[in-house]
Amino acid sequence: MLSEEHVKGETALSGRASARLTAPDVRTEFGLETLDMNMGPQHPAMHGLLRLVLELDGETVVRCDPIMGYLHRCQEKIAENRMYPAVIPLTDRLDYFANMHMEHGYVLAVEDMLDVEIPPRAEAIRVLMCELMRIASHTPSIGFLMLELGAFTPILYSFRERERIQTIFEAVTGARMMFHYIRLGGVKADLPPDIPEKIWEYIEDLESNFQRDFVDLIEGNEIFIARTRGVGRITPEKALEMGLTGPPLRCTGVDMDLRRDYPYSWYPNVDFDVITDEGGDVEASYRVRIKEILQSIRIIKQVLENLPEGEVMADMGRRIRPAEGEGFGRVESPRGEFAVHVVSDGSDTPYRVHYRDPSFVNMQLLQEIIPGHYLPDIMPIMGLIDPVSGGWDK
Amino acid sequence: MLEILNQEPIRFILAFGATIFLVLNLAAILTMAERKVAGYIQMRYGPNRVGPRGLLQPAADVFKLFTKENLAPTKADLWTFLIAPIAMFLPAALVWIVIPFAPGAVIADLNVAIVFFLAITSISSLGIIMAGYGSRSNFSLLGALRGAAQIVSYEVPMILSLLGVIMLTGSLSLVDMVSNQAGGFWNWHFISQFPMFLVFYIAGLAEVQRVPFDLAEGESEIVGGFQIEYSGMTWGLIQAAEFAAMGVISAVAATVFLGGWQPPLPFLDLGQFNFIWLGLKVSLIIFTFQLIRWSLPRFRMDQLMDLGWKILVPICVAWIFVTAAAMLVF
Repeated sequence: MLSEEHVKGETALSGRASARLTAPDVRTEFGLETLDMNMGPQHPAMHGLLRLVLELDGETVVRCDPIMGYLHRCQEKIAENRMYPAVIPLTDRLDYFANMHMEHGYVLAVEDMLDVEIPPRAEAIRVLMCELMRIASHTPSIGFLMLELGAFTPILYSFRERERIQTIFEAVTGARMMFHYIRLGGVKADLPPDIPEKIWEYIEDLESNFQRDFVDLIEGNEIFIARTRGVGRITPEKALEMGLTGPPLRCTGVDMDLRRDYPYSWYPNVDFDVITDEGGDVEASYRVRIKEILQSIRIIKQVLENLPEGEVMADMGRRIRPAEGEGFGRVESPRGEFAVHVVSDGSDTPYRVHYRDPSFVNMQLLQEIIPGHYLPDIMPIMGLIDPVSGGWDK
Repeated sequence: MLEILNQEPIRFILAFGATIFLVLNLAAILTMAERKVAGYIQMRYGPNRVGPRGLLQPAADVFKLFTKENLAPTKADLWTFLIAPIAMFLPAALVWIVIPFAPGAVIADLNVAIVFFLAITSISSLGIIMAGYGSRSNFSLLGALRGAAQIVSYEVPMILSLLGVIMLTGSLSLVDMVSNQAGGFWNWHFISQFPMFLVFYIAGLAEVQRVPFDLAEGESEIVGGFQIEYSGMTWGLIQAAEFAAMGVISAVAATVFLGGWQPPLPFLDLGQFNFIWLGLKVSLIIFTFQLIRWSLPRFRMDQLMDLGWKILVPICVAWIFVTAAAMLVF
């Protein structure tokens, strides 16, 4: 049933004002009730396994409770029973659209506890891989947004890009998705000799058809603008209050990017812009993602031009036993801040591992802004946050 | 012997049987065409394994659908649930009997063919409501409500968009409309009635529930809408109904606005084989439907209503006045 203030007509819905509830007198006269509906966990637009319990008044959503946990795999607990290097393949399974960033975050946290010098070439390769991963994650994000709006074709264009990047990853790491490539002390292996050239080729191809396939096809469409402008609007204060990071935060105009503000790895040596937008709605988040892809291309070019020579792995010894203490590492994953907190008790397994996943934190937004929107607006809002099931459920 | 075939009830039954056969085949061909067009838009080949160049794919699909079990939800209103696909399919098939295929080749030359077409296509919204209500599922119900609201709203611009041609022809018969457009493509109604043609095209898209107006289906939000609980051949019939409806709307658009079976230039007249021209025009319209289907996102319900009532209806009313004034002057 509707809560007290809804019945009185003094709607406290935080979402868009244009959506209207049935007037209270009409509701009383016809004995109208709201409809409770389960969306998910098996639902094509729920980015994995998410269940939304919705209360609908006609097409308007009155209440939205996200229920998660359908893909929980006890990642943090399992990590306590495995030796430090053996946790890395598990982190691949966290956010399966940004595996490199997950590895990188964990590795940074453990290296924080160890006194180890990472070879510069390894750092550069890590950044190279992470930025390729960002392209491979942002392009499908845009594709999913369009798929959820009902346009089927852009997803295939974006997966073409992801596929080509995966081919590069396969040549470098030996795997298409679960890489286990960024290791404690460096990376698993040096780049194969022909790979820099292949990445150049790929980047040039992407640049040549980027405008056509991802900007003109999508942004030039009136229906896309009508469906996304003003939908899911958040204020910067609200975004900061809820701890949003990544594109959902930057699309509100807050200028924050870990790569620039808390530089790690090879990022101090490259030059790039942090993209922000003023809209704070779905359209703005789309524009932020589009421009971030172009910035990633810029970073990749700089890394490839000045790729340092040398080793790719520091000498770590056979067993890794950090001294008693804590390590913390954070990276800017495509979805926001991914942070790892590792506590060591001096043994060769972590005492405690905690992942702060951006999908999980950004999902708070759903409960906050969906009420007041129409039912079909839920899908673009999911596209704004773009959570990944493996991320929010760990 | 052949004389008997031309006697009235037998001729009608035979012709109607042939029409149903044509409609079912058309649906099969259209599924194939749809998938091929989608394939080429999306940088892939589409079905190309079954038969030569994949042409037998529809046959394989239908065979698969027939072997599947028809499941119904436990709480479904079984009769409503099972009759709904038929209620959707039959109207789409029935309209074909008033379409003139070639000079003299029309199953029933009704003098109120346009009214017949409008009345019959409205029945398909009943099928959608039956499917949504009979399934007893929230998603189905939402889809059905959307579909019904949409079809009822878009009937209005569709009827209004036909009025201009009716005024020009002075008749409600499709045969008269075709003969009124004789003598080359500059006589076709879409030139003098261009805004009406666009409105009819858009309203037709909405009427057959295709992207960007497929709100009743809405596969990314309500996962198929009214058809979510259907399986096997009942689902196949709903699909066939959608494709058949697309064929009907295209055929009516071609007949009313693009000259029907009239050749584009007088010397291209093929006599009884003029149905080829109708086929080409219908194919062209369906092809544009398919291009739209695979490139555009979907409208939202309120935007759909805005478009229908605030843009399409005023355009129609304005153009009716323009047409009337022009008829008065010339």
